[in-house]
Amino acid sequence: MTAVLLEVQGLRKSFGGVAALDEASFVVEEGSITALIGPNGAGKTTAFNAISGFLKPDAGTIRFAGRRIEGLRNDLVARAGLVRAFQSPRVLTRMSVMDNMLLAGKDQPGERLSLTWLAPRRVASRELEVHRRALDLLELLRLLPLAEAYAGTLSGGQRKLLELGRALMVEPRMILLDEPMAGVAPVLAEQLLEHIRRLRAERGVTFCVIEHDMDVVMSVSDRVIVMDEGRVIAEGTPDAIQRSERVIEAYLGRFAPASATPGGAP
Amino acid sequence: MDVLNPAFWTFVAVIAGIYAILSLGLYVQFSLAGLPNFGHVAFMAVSSYTMAILVVRYAVPMPLAAGAGLVGAVLLALVLGIPTLRLRADYLAIATVAGGEIVRYLAMNLPDVTGGPVGSIGLLGPGQIALYNGDWLAFLDRFAASLSGIVGARVSRDAASAILVWCFVGVLVLALWRSERSPWGRVLKGIREDEAAVAAVGKNVFAFKLQALTLGAILAGIAGLLLAWQIGVFSPEDYQPTLTFYAYLIVILGGMNRLLAIPVGAVAFSLLYSGTRLLNFFPLSLIDSGSRAFLRLFLVGFLLVLLMAVRPEGMLGNRKELLLEK
Repeated sequence: MTAVLLEVQGLRKSFGGVAALDEASFVVEEGSITALIGPNGAGKTTAFNAISGFLKPDAGTIRFAGRRIEGLRNDLVARAGLVRAFQSPRVLTRMSVMDNMLLAGKDQPGERLSLTWLAPRRVASRELEVHRRALDLLELLRLLPLAEAYAGTLSGGQRKLLELGRALMVEPRMILLDEPMAGVAPVLAEQLLEHIRRLRAERGVTFCVIEHDMDVVMSVSDRVIVMDEGRVIAEGTPDAIQRSERVIEAYLGRFAPASATPGGAP
Repeated sequence: MDVLNPAFWTFVAVIAGIYAILSLGLYVQFSLAGLPNFGHVAFMAVSSYTMAILVVRYAVPMPLAAGAGLVGAVLLALVLGIPTLRLRADYLAIATVAGGEIVRYLAMNLPDVTGGPVGSIGLLGPGQIALYNGDWLAFLDRFAASLSGIVGARVSRDAASAILVWCFVGVLVLALWRSERSPWGRVLKGIREDEAAVAAVGKNVFAFKLQALTLGAILAGIAGLLLAWQIGVFSPEDYQPTLTFYAYLIVILGGMNRLLAIPVGAVAFSLLYSGTRLLNFFPLSLIDSGSRAFLRLFLVGFLLVLLMAVRPEGMLGNRKELLLEK
């Protein structure tokens, strides 16, 4: 049994009178690919925003690698090893693909202006390491030929790949992907899935993925969390989830015909 | 006026250099970090007032007073930046517009502190003429004398000032060139493009923005000191918001997001602005001088509109980059 890497307990967040998150609780195991699914408005993206520090939750606790991170500033969450990607990829369009990658490199002494002048060697040697890592990742993601292109010239799918690469530059333990397959050409989507599997296998990166495509969810994930109306209504293996009556209800409505429920409650 | 009067052009060169330094400050804030600062002139005002008050009233040595002036500019940057830089860019824009005007109106309405509407000359109260740039002029004269020795011809005080200011511009351009290519500059450009994306990879966006705002304020403060020393007397009217927009013009005219475009833009702007003063030949000489002054400002505006229509990327800008959507 693997250890729990991320533990969300009783997370609440309301916008005006609407509870986007209503006591949501779930765990993500270290080294897993966990899918977060649910109908529109279930609170999946809000949960991601709260976990990654882009939104302050009203109540609840978030524990990452044993450390409480709820309400922590977004950049500190990333530095703790929990990096997110956005639903519509936010690449820095008027910078080169390579600069997008280099920017994200962690522990760069050159980010302090004083050290650029006082410790140029230290800055240069770290820059070299960061550059090497960026080259490796670009090669892995098959973006190397585009390294010097403006990120703004990339297709939607390539942008998602770049965003994944940029997240990996931070050397994270866990990556949150918000609908990585949405709007991506089928060939690139297949590639992206392959990368996720490989990164988990070879580098031990944990993934939590919001996804709507059920075929993808069932093929790539080892655990599935189902949300509806701000709560987690089911958690389990893809097989168990597919047979869960509550899940089918949430997706198809309460009075689904009997023929739509192949199994029974797990 | 004589087109070939060297004294006139030397003066224009000094002012162009000072505008270049002012615009380099805006370059760090606006072009690198994407901070819309519409009160840039306030940093000039604060540094020159602080310097002049300390020199005139408290006989503080010039270099120390100049340092205090820059500290004043930094403090203003912190006051404007700390509450607004965590918010959307619009709030900084509003705060800086207001901040700029507040500084000017304070200078106008606190005569006991600032000399009031008459400006620096009234710093010692009515009936006395206050001067703050004696040390600077003495320093320039020594510098001009040693330059004369080197080139073997008389170098005027303004020429010495122009050389000094432009050497300083050169040093600043080199320093910023290196800084913007450092990881620090990369983070600032990233913030300009999309600060959420930069925060998502673990960078403290607020701290970087505050650094950019402060560095820009220091450069504007230096420009303020140099301008005050150069013109000898100043009043609140010298710190109108138009000065901030001249700096924007220089940044845009030269070419957005390109460092070398700043000195080029400063020269182009000064030629356009001062050069049109010389449009006094036939048939323009038929128009009386008052209308001609008006025509001149019209022409400056017209040329700028024309440039933006034909070359929206400015003189040295990168069109390809400009056309990419954010």
